[in-house]
Formats: sequence, C-alpha cells, structure tokens
Amino acid sequence: MALSPEILGILIAVFVIALTAAFLFWQRRRTSRSGILVVGLNDSGKTLMFSQIVYNEFVDTFTSMKENIGDFTASKSVLKIIDIPGHERVRAKFFDEHKRNARGIAFLVDASNLQSNIRDAAEYLYSILTDPVIASSAPSFLIVCNKQDQTMAKGSVAVKKLLEKELNLLRKTKSSRLASLDNTTDNAVFLGQEDKDFEFEHLNKIKVEFAETALFSAANEEGVQLEQVEDWLERVSA
Amino acid sequence: MLDFFSIFGKGGIVLWCFQSTGHIFTPSVNALIRTVILQERGGGSNSFDHESLTLKYKLDNEFDLVFVVAFQKILQLSYVDKLLDDVQLEFRDLYRQQLQGLRPGLEFRRPFERVLAAAEEWGRRQDNQPRQMRSFEQSHKSKKTVSSMIERPHEQKNQKTVEKEAAVKESPPPTPAAPASPRNGSGAGELDEETMALNRMRLAQRLGSPNASKKKAAADKQKSPKAKKTGKAPTQWDLGGTNKDVASLERTKDKDGVRQDTYDSKLVGQMVGGIKDLEVDSSDDDDEQDEERQVRLARTKESGLLSMFKGLVGNKSLSRETMQPALDKMCDLLIAKNVAADIAKKLCESVATKLDGKVIGTFEGVASVVKTTLTESLMQILSPRRRVDILRDALESQRKGRPFVMTFCGVNGVGKSTNLAKICFWLIENDLRVLVAACDTFRAGAVEQLRTHVRHLNNLHPAERHNGREMVQLYEKGYGKDAAGIAMEAINFAREARLDVVLVDTAGRMQDNEPLMRALAKLIKVNDPDLVLFVGEALVGNEAVDQLVKFNQAMADYSAAEHPHLIDGIVLTKFDTIDDKVGAAISMTYITGQPIVFVGTGQTYTDLKSLNAKAVVHALMK
Repeated sequence: MALSPEILGILIAVFVIALTAAFLFWQRRRTSRSGILVVGLNDSGKTLMFSQIVYNEFVDTFTSMKENIGDFTASKSVLKIIDIPGHERVRAKFFDEHKRNARGIAFLVDASNLQSNIRDAAEYLYSILTDPVIASSAPSFLIVCNKQDQTMAKGSVAVKKLLEKELNLLRKTKSSRLASLDNTTDNAVFLGQEDKDFEFEHLNKIKVEFAETALFSAANEEGVQLEQVEDWLERVSA
Repeated sequence: MLDFFSIFGKGGIVLWCFQSTGHIFTPSVNALIRTVILQERGGGSNSFDHESLTLKYKLDNEFDLVFVVAFQKILQLSYVDKLLDDVQLEFRDLYRQQLQGLRPGLEFRRPFERVLAAAEEWGRRQDNQPRQMRSFEQSHKSKKTVSSMIERPHEQKNQKTVEKEAAVKESPPPTPAAPASPRNGSGAGELDEETMALNRMRLAQRLGSPNASKKKAAADKQKSPKAKKTGKAPTQWDLGGTNKDVASLERTKDKDGVRQDTYDSKLVGQMVGGIKDLEVDSSDDDDEQDEERQVRLARTKESGLLSMFKGLVGNKSLSRETMQPALDKMCDLLIAKNVAADIAKKLCESVATKLDGKVIGTFEGVASVVKTTLTESLMQILSPRRRVDILRDALESQRKGRPFVMTFCGVNGVGKSTNLAKICFWLIENDLRVLVAACDTFRAGAVEQLRTHVRHLNNLHPAERHNGREMVQLYEKGYGKDAAGIAMEAINFAREARLDVVLVDTAGRMQDNEPLMRALAKLIKVNDPDLVLFVGEALVGNEAVDQLVKFNQAMADYSAAEHPHLIDGIVLTKFDTIDDKVGAAISMTYITGQPIVFVGTGQTYTDLKSLNAKAVVHALMK
C-alpha cells in the first residue's frame, strides 16, 4: 500500500517531534536533584551508615575506593544515597562528579578522635561549604557525630562548638585570597558574617543540623540511633 | 597456611571473608588499599608487606571487586597467584547473574575450599618437579652476537692497543674537531702546515714520546702566528695581589653607608592571603568550563539514548593486548613531557591493571578510555594526601608559643635561597614574624645574599607599619660553622623573641655525597623541624627520581630513630622556564607521595604560586 509522500513526511515529522519531546521530558526528570551525599574523613563510618540506611544491615568494611550508590524510599519520594570515599586523593574527584545532584549532604564526623583530626575535618567541611555549586544550590546539611558508643566521644553540642571555632580561623586564612586565575573560584564565598565569630546559624542559605549516632553498636543490637538521620532524610525528601 | 582471604567490592563493603586466625586484618588491608591501590603503585608486583604479613591482591575491573589474600611473610607460597586467578574465575561463574546487586553474606566457602585444595596440590607438584632446563631463547648466549664469542688468541694483543688508542682519542677532544674539517676538505694529497703538525703531535703521543707536549705547543703557536702587538702591560694574575688590595675586596659591609637601592614597593600587598593557583599555558579557560559541561551533558544524554540500544549492541572487554598500543603511545607522550622514564612505565602499568578485564561499550574507543583513566590517575597522584595549609599550621604553633620551623634542602643551584625569600615575603604579608637562619655556611656569599633579602623585605614592610616590630630578622654566624648548631641556636632565639616562623636555609649538596647527607640528616634529627621541604627544579628529568630517592634514603638511614623524619613537601622551582613540559611535578610527587607545597615561577617576590592539579594534568595530556 502506497502512502502519498506528503502524508509520509508528516508522519515522520510528528514521530520525530514526539520522540524529542519525550526525550527532553525524561532528561529534565532525571536532572532534578534527588541525591544525598554521605561525606566525611577516612574511617568515620560512611560506608557503614550507607549500608544501614539502604540495606538495613551491618557489614564489615574496608577503605572505599569507589562511591556506593543506593536507593532509600522515604514516605514521599525515592532518594539516592551516594557514599563518597573519604581518602584524600579520590574524594575531590567523586565529590565533583555528584555535587550537582545533591539535595542534602550528610557530613560524618568521628566524635571520639575529633580533637586530633579537627583541622582536617574543618578543612574538608570548609571546602564543601565554599564550593560554588553547593553555595548556589544550597542543600541541607546534617553533621552526624558518629561513634557515640566510645567513651571519649563528644556530643553534638561540643562538636558544633569545635567546628565553629576552627571554621572561624579557616575563613580568615583562606578568604582574603585575591581572585585566583584558574577555574575553581572557591574564594568568592565568605562564610557567615564578617564582623562576628562564625556560627552555623549565620549561613542564611544553607541549613545545618546535628545528629548523633553509634553505628557500630548495630552489631550488638543495642540500638543504632539512626532515628535522627532518618528523620532528617524524611524532611529533606519533602 | 593462608591466614586471610577476602572478597570485597571497590566501594568497601565486604562480600565474603575467610579467616583462620583471630588476628584483626582490617588495618593491614586498609594499608594495602591506601598505599598501593589509591596511590597508583599498582603496576609491577601485586604483593605488599605490612608488619608480619604479606598481602597479595587482584582487581576485577568488570564487576568492581577486589580479591585479597594474606599470609605470613616468612612463608613463601608459590600457588597464591594461581589461587587468586582461580578464585576469581570461580566467583564470577557462580555470581555472574547478580553482578549489580552483590550483597554480603554470600555462600562461597565450599567452592573456595575446593579451589584452595586444587591450588595447594598444584603448588606441591611444582615444588617436587626437577628444575627445568632453560630453553635456548632464555639463556644469555642467545642474546650475544656470534662474532663477539669467537675467540682468536692473536687478537687479544690487538685488543689492548685498540683500547689504548680509544683512550688517547678521547683525551684531546676539542683539538681534532676543528682541523678535521679542513683536512677532509683539502683532499688526500694536500696537507698544510697545521695538519702536518697535528699529525706529528698525534704520532708522538701514541708512541708516548716526551716531546709530545712540546710539539703540541709548537702547533699551537703556529696556529696563531700574528699576535696583537700592544705595549707591555704588567700581567694581572687571578690569585695574586698584595695586602694593599684587601680593602677593595671587602664586600660584606656597605661603602660609607650610602645606599642607592630602589625598592619596588609595588610588591607590597600582593601576596596577602593564600597563594594564587598556578596557571599553565592553557589558552581557553572559560571555554574549558563550558566544554566540560557540554561534554558531561552529552555523556548523560548519550547514556540515556544509548542505554536503549545497549542491549542490541555488544560490549567488548579490554585485555592487555588490546590496550598495549594505546598504553605505549601514552607512555611516550608522558616521557616527551619530561616525566621520568620508569615513572611513566609504572604509571602505564597501573593503568593497565586498573583496566584489565573492564567492559566498555562499542561506542567508546580503547584509546579514549585509556586516556581518561590515565588522566584520573595523574589527578589522583597530584592531589595532596594530607592537608596543605601552612598559614593555619603557623597560627597553631603561634598559639602554642613555639616557632614553626621550615627547612629547605636540595641539590646545588635549584633556588633554595631565592624561594626562601619569596616564602618569607608571603609570610610577612600575612602578618607573621619570620626569622631566617643562615645555615648555608659553605657557599661564598650565601649569608650576604640572605642579608640583602632581609634588608629588602624589611624595607617593603617597615617596622612602623607593624607596631614597631621588625618583621624579618636574620640569624647568622658567618662561614665554616656547623649548620645543625646554628639552626638550634636560631630556633632558641626565635622562641625567646616570640617570633612565629623560622626558615632554615641549608647548603646545596649532591645526593650521593655521603658526609654531606649525613650532616643534613643530623640537622633534621637534632632540630626536629615541622616541615622539611625538598626544593627541586622543574627542568630536571630522570634525575629527579635519583635525587629524591637518595635524599629520603639518607634521611632514613642516618637518623637512627624509629620513625625518621622524611621529606614532607616539595617546592618546585623555575616553573617559568618550562612551557608545558611539566612532567617533573609528576615524577616528584609519585616518588615521595608528598604534595607540592609551593611552585616558584620567577625571581621576584610575587612569583610564588600553589599547584593547580587540573591545569598541570591538562598540560600534560594535551
């Protein structure tokens, strides 16, 4: 059966337009931010928290070399949990890959030896907070103080004070840099207010909350205290 | 006999684990991951020693798994590599279907024991076999040429004279060069006076005659028959002179206090805050960012569209043979950009290990995958392993009430004193008070050089502007004294005067000069500086490997401590002299694993930058 060439041409055009429209719609849906990044220093418990949120079980872990990606079904939507390795050499690469997709960032801190690692932890947190993509998209932050089962662990109030003091110093040493000549202009963002000491409340766009967990005690069935984190996840997904 | 075997994903989650002792293996495996795999030392051998254990590993790049086996270091098990290969094949056959969702708690014990038994049996059989004879291809004889092996007794005498002639020919190198050309040009029959004299001289030398030198002098005189005729002037000898000349030789003090130096005060204020990032010769920075975004969008679009077709089109997996031409090309590219030769080889080896067995779509070329992986490896090497923030550490020491001590070491002529002055300028711009310790007591003018710098810096930042405190001071004790002692006194002085930073300048020394390396190790051991910086120039090629290895080795050997203080950071100097041949940065960071803290790009005080890993890798891979 022979279709006349005009009708054939119109059919093909309609088909192509429909295909492009469907593709664009699909593309837009995929690029909406639905990811939760789990970041932190080496050995702070990120992979363990990832497996407990996504798989609900306790696993043995070693130092991660690659990111772990899994899904978490909140009440309203599905969140993608991305666990970024903490090793200094690879963390920047994986973070840059996934930062555009970040709806919320969970920063894990090892509360039992924070005092000795405070400078490294604060520098990592500072580099995340001043990253231009993060500063513009303003995801919610949750700072999780892990390893509460250890006796020397600090509570979230003490951790908050320590971090604020350290970030206060850091922004002075790093902020007065002149415009750098390469692509990463992470000096354009000055955290908090200039004349007062740094506090997390001063970050007007980014909301920072604190939580405490003891992820290792899941092995002993003593209660992992993940409720605060799961509450936050529910609130972020809304 | 195996202590430990584990299969875990690259994301860190352990899938299966077998342990025969109660020992905790987590620190050893973590050390393996951090030292070997993440630092791109995966090429070459796949074994790693930690405390009393030897760990061997194998990467499965198709499913992103790691297989690790650990056993006691004193055992030498021959079947371990075969075991790793067999276990990998077995595991993949069993769990091929579930490759996406591999979860811990897999049942693998019985297949593992079977494979282990087979491997042990194989190992036992190998040990019991009699030693195989080497085939002809493997022997040394096949590598020699035939003529070199033929022995002729009367030729042994000629060999000796041939050697002597070769030695003689090498000793006067410049003289035959010039007359050789006219000799060739003038033809066989015509020999002019000069060449005849030269031939006579050569003959005399060959026969060992005492008149040889006389003939040479005659030849020289004949070569320049017409000397310039001027009046007779008394000869000025270099090492001569009388006591009356001493006053004119004194250069350590100024003449009559009159100074006509002009200080470039435009420099003040340019180095406040952190150090600017380096920019490496990449013309299109803005376009790069756009291009990156477009590439990423294109990639996601591509993966979206093509995922529909992926089921139709086949995938190909990479093997070493398919990757080899691309790897060789990459290796040559790196060497052309001044990366040390064996570093480039090791890097390509580790890329091969990372990609072996990986599955790529048919739309990606092998070369592009190899190039992206190599770029990632280079970025990983150049990313600092620990935090690099000198200002913050200096403030911390200020709070503790003791000075922050930085030591500069390196071979001769790399720019230690110049870059020390630049770093000093940066520190005083950021309101820290500095003491420069002149521990180079050997090189003539070293102390004066530092004094000139200190004076210049104090003029740029006069004490009036900083509450009457002098920002830079020099601590020197002249020449010929012990450097370690001067450094110790300088640090004590700084502590009492409540100065913030001490910069210790040492003499340049070659890496195989044992007494000098011993002296350097003693300086570092006695004074325990906070930061030991190795200063290396960007022009160096393969020599960088030798320098750094020997410096580290010397500091470890001569320090007689449990944990010797090795090189903590690198200062890369003379970066403006190389356009895009930036390979020295890679060689140095690969060898030591330490970050590049400063980059020197010129000789004025503001030519101090910090390393921009992206730009350097981009320039390398262009």
